[in-house]
Amino acid sequence: MALTTLWDVAYFLASGLLYVVSRIIPPLSGVLSNGDLVWGLSALVFGAILLAASMINTIMLIWFERKMLGRFMDRRGAMHVGYAGLLQNFADGLKLFRKNTFKPRDADGLGFYAGPTAYMVTSLLMFGVLPVSTGWSDGSLPLSMLLALVIFSFAPLFIFISAWSSNNKYSLIGGMRSAAQMIAYEVPILLAVVAVVVISGSFDLNTIVSEQRNYWYWGPLFLAMIVFATGMLAEMERIPFDLPEAEAELVEGWNTEYGGMLFAYFMLADYVRALAGSILVVLLFLGGWTLPAYFPAALTSLPLAGIVVLMVKTYLVFGVFVWIRAALPRVRTDQLLRIGWMRMIPLSLASIVFAVFFVLVKCIPVLGCVPSMGG
Amino acid sequence: MSEMWVNMGPQHPMTHGLWNLRVRIDGEMIVEVDPEMGYLHRGIEKISEDRHYNEVITLMDRTCYVAGMAWEHLYVMGAEKALGIVPPERAEWIRMLSEEFQRLASHIMWYAAFVQDLGLMSPFLYGMRDRDLILDLFQSYTGGRLTYEYMRVGGVRNDLPEGFPAQARQVLDWLEPRLVEYDRLCMGSEIFRRRCDGLGVLKANDCVRLGVTGPMLRSAGSKRDIRKDRPYSRYSQVEFDVATADSSDVTGRYLVRMEEMRQSIRILRQALDWLEHHPGPVLADRLPRWLGAPYAPMGREGYLLKRNYPKGVGLSAIEEPHGEACAYVVNEGGEHPYRVKFRSPVFANLSACSHYLVGYHIADIPPIMGSVDVCVGEVDR
Repeated sequence: MALTTLWDVAYFLASGLLYVVSRIIPPLSGVLSNGDLVWGLSALVFGAILLAASMINTIMLIWFERKMLGRFMDRRGAMHVGYAGLLQNFADGLKLFRKNTFKPRDADGLGFYAGPTAYMVTSLLMFGVLPVSTGWSDGSLPLSMLLALVIFSFAPLFIFISAWSSNNKYSLIGGMRSAAQMIAYEVPILLAVVAVVVISGSFDLNTIVSEQRNYWYWGPLFLAMIVFATGMLAEMERIPFDLPEAEAELVEGWNTEYGGMLFAYFMLADYVRALAGSILVVLLFLGGWTLPAYFPAALTSLPLAGIVVLMVKTYLVFGVFVWIRAALPRVRTDQLLRIGWMRMIPLSLASIVFAVFFVLVKCIPVLGCVPSMGG
Repeated sequence: MSEMWVNMGPQHPMTHGLWNLRVRIDGEMIVEVDPEMGYLHRGIEKISEDRHYNEVITLMDRTCYVAGMAWEHLYVMGAEKALGIVPPERAEWIRMLSEEFQRLASHIMWYAAFVQDLGLMSPFLYGMRDRDLILDLFQSYTGGRLTYEYMRVGGVRNDLPEGFPAQARQVLDWLEPRLVEYDRLCMGSEIFRRRCDGLGVLKANDCVRLGVTGPMLRSAGSKRDIRKDRPYSRYSQVEFDVATADSSDVTGRYLVRMEEMRQSIRILRQALDWLEHHPGPVLADRLPRWLGAPYAPMGREGYLLKRNYPKGVGLSAIEEPHGEACAYVVNEGGEHPYRVKFRSPVFANLSACSHYLVGYHIADIPPIMGSVDVCVGEVDR
């Protein structure tokens, strides 16, 4: 049995586990060889591996950001816990875990606790949808990109719920801002994605990546990539657009009242979203796990090569986001909305026109031909 | 969303200290503001009445914790006028040098805090890094980095250490290109300009009416600067220009402070040149012994000596980094000042905030208040 996909690995682990258990307790062997049980257990193992991988990556992403910001700021970043501070974030997480989580007296209990939980869960759900390499998951969803974006856009709802239910004026203002901002940037993001769909002819992320084997979409769809990445910055609430949690005026905005593990949920989910957003940029515009043809084929055929390529690209994209964070001040709400509605949307519409044009002419000088010819 | 009151402070990242800005907002717009001060009141003026003249200097460092030298200078000038003491020439130059270094440090501190309010993270650390060099210089000749207790009624405590001018010039040489870098990080950024242009406008006649001074007044086009208008220390002997801007907004205040830093460096170079070639005493001789109260016994001797000194009042005014500060020292005879009154520039600048905050967005509060350069220690005293 070839362990080519993560699902295969999970299935192998699950059936192996059940086999061992049935050898230890022979009377159960009849029950344990049930096909549905094996399938269910392998789904669990699949989820566990995915969860562990995404969480570790998220935490490494935070470390990466802290170190990079440190360099930008002429300091060294986290240094003391673990080698070069690698374990600093685990220590921070542990500290938050040990803290008491309390609810303000007048806060609404259901919303206060359900908000961050749902925010965290929906953010993690992204990784069930995003393919990270060929055969990452068994089979593919025909509309996986649409699903990913839908999951991605759940966030403002939960932010608003938790902001409103924490019964704090700062939180309320922050939640309002967050909702306005995310809704405003949903539109250009989707329009930019339409350009990708037009040129690749598919809503399936696997297909979109494999369509990019000849050339990556950032060339013909440069405008769309800029719009998409900017929109992602706003969706992630990172620094030029971090006004929902602008600490100078709103004291962390919508998560003012949260402490302990609930705050950790928000913080972690923010970075989960940052990771997912960076992966989306890579998948849609930077060729996903493919490499240009002048790289030796042996390099890409190694096991896990696809994942490594994708993660390197993801960290580079995130590095650009960190760079932006280190270099730019925060914009104001009205300016942000004006950029969103009056600059981003025309640009994304223009990029759709470009995409249609490229599909019509079929071949682009220098870059090559559209393999699917517009689906 | 209907109108509501929001407390920005006393524990709020915008305040840079301990004061409360009550804001009535309509959505994101500011309708009314109400500053509340007094959280950091320590009764410095009252405590001063119970201390020897030189002991008050300790309090002056705590008045504004980022501009201690300037406040020491202000107080010792007032006390000298009240007591009729003239400090030696070299001490005057050292005081001017200290005050300009303090202005540089204070403005860099302001820059760091101001850009941090706007969400610019990196320049904050650049500013703190460069300010440290000035604090190192202070440490080399006063022993302190924040509270120096260096100036004395009648001079300064000790002379500059050997090799100080060379060391100081090295720091200035490092700082000059840094100022260009700061400017490029801010004025070169489109977002920065959009966040600052046209915000917190306070015209010159309003400034005068409300008693607003310092960079806020000069950003409105006025050329008022006590260092030029009523030169104290040896400011009349150095060349420098008064920094002004015309926009009377946040950008204008930024530009004024940036230019002031350049002018400070210019003054410092001249002061260092003078100090290198003019050795001399730094403390006036024939001072009454009770001035140095910790070392002299109180009581009879002081009472005997006080008759030698006439009663008097001293009024001194300096151009502090934040604006015009005044000290009024009343000497009724005796080893304690009878009354000390300070005018804090930031108190006036802050009290006028309803004139330059209303009508802007809630997100504009940090840049506008940042451009005022609030130092709560001297507001509340």
